[in-house]
Amino acid sequence: MSEVVRKYIPLLITFIVGVIAVLDFYTTVPAIRGTFTVLKNWGIVVTAFALGVGAVNLFRVHGKRIAERGELWPLSGWLLFMLIVFVVVGLSTGKFDASWQYKWIYNAIMLPLGATMYSSLCFYMAMGAYKVLRIRNIDSLFLFLTAIFVVFGNTPIFPAAFPGFFYTREWIFKTIISGAYRGIRIGVGIGAVVLGIRTILGLERGYLGRA
Amino acid sequence: MSAWEKLAALPREIVLTIVLIAMIVPAIRPFGLPIMVGKMSKDWYNTVDSLPEGSIVLFDIGFGSGGYPTLGPCAVAALHQMFEKHLKIIIMATALEGSMMYPLIMEKVKPEKNYGAVYGKDYVFLGYIAGAQTAMAAVLGDIHTAVKEDYYGTPIDQIPLLKEVKGPESYDLVAYLTTDGGIAEGWVYQAYSRYKLTVVGGFLSMMTPSLKPYYDAGALKGILDGIKGAADMEYMTHHPGDALRATDILSATQTIVLIFIAIGNISYWGARLSKKEGES
Repeated sequence: MSEVVRKYIPLLITFIVGVIAVLDFYTTVPAIRGTFTVLKNWGIVVTAFALGVGAVNLFRVHGKRIAERGELWPLSGWLLFMLIVFVVVGLSTGKFDASWQYKWIYNAIMLPLGATMYSSLCFYMAMGAYKVLRIRNIDSLFLFLTAIFVVFGNTPIFPAAFPGFFYTREWIFKTIISGAYRGIRIGVGIGAVVLGIRTILGLERGYLGRA
Repeated sequence: MSAWEKLAALPREIVLTIVLIAMIVPAIRPFGLPIMVGKMSKDWYNTVDSLPEGSIVLFDIGFGSGGYPTLGPCAVAALHQMFEKHLKIIIMATALEGSMMYPLIMEKVKPEKNYGAVYGKDYVFLGYIAGAQTAMAAVLGDIHTAVKEDYYGTPIDQIPLLKEVKGPESYDLVAYLTTDGGIAEGWVYQAYSRYKLTVVGGFLSMMTPSLKPYYDAGALKGILDGIKGAADMEYMTHHPGDALRATDILSATQTIVLIFIAIGNISYWGARLSKKEGES
């Protein structure tokens, strides 16, 4: 493939789309607004298409692992089996809330599993708090005090009994945490602007892969 | 190993079993412990409460099964308030599983039965719209070109509610609940920064510290902070549900965690001091 196709055409597309996006934000020209609306709608279609590509890629990666009897290959087999089950049931029985079959496999398998994955974090956090939140030196004292007051403020019974815990947590959030995060956000924002300008100008080419 | 050292290194089985018991007991027999409604939840409630009847709300379900135990009750309580206020609600999903969350939520809200709401006139569900911030920008910018039909396949030019939406200025409120940091920030960028719309958001508690600067700056008018935020909403809307029941579990488990933190520190310093005494 020529360098023009691999490199310069994607850079040109990025430049044009980037400039239209910026102009759409700062101007009210109907032609620009209309063009960017079309581009945004294309974006939705492309992202939806990417989901299909993701499924194909899943088959490639896990199919290869099964064929080669790689590490934990039975789990790969199970993954693909469930993927097929969900797709077949979904396509053959209609929309989610109109299909009791799909609703059943989702509500009986996916919902409890998803909830369990997230809920199990609670145990890690409890164990981590017991093991890590120990006052070993002056730094850990500050960490300990902040954590303790936030946990007291977050535990519903304590602020209800002693509102001071709620206001202490609010002060920590508003003053210490928000201050730190505001700095991070401003830094990230400036970085994003610079990255955007570099991408539009073709100086940032990581998204082109090896091109 | 001294008694202090043993106490400082309790086996994880013991710690986690006690935490599990602290979870199960209030789940079986709720204590009915009191709660204090937080300011961020109160601000969400007041923002919705101040909207006149018939205002249009864009409501995003940005979570799936993982976030459902926390954000599901948030969505149920928030929608109860909106339907009670007779707001017109356009519901969409930026999460892939959002379309599966919608019926679970609506089965609890029951808008037709409880509020006499009519699908298509008072509320509509657009389904999952791919693209995260691109989807938000498209829906806010021109919903008629971004979406061709609702979740049930009805063309959107046949849906009375969507005929009222002319452009971003038609939305009186953007409300979203999400487990995704990108979506959480995305609504602030696309709805508040771009169109200066009123935005309220609900997240997992662990996300709230990083998003609170937007609330402090006025970009977010209210926040539902995880299960506690959901409990606050259930309390304020007088629709007690899963979240209020969960606050007892939260109180019990976090109290146990605080006790373990205390045990950890006392035993650590006990072991350290006894070691020093032994050396001297």
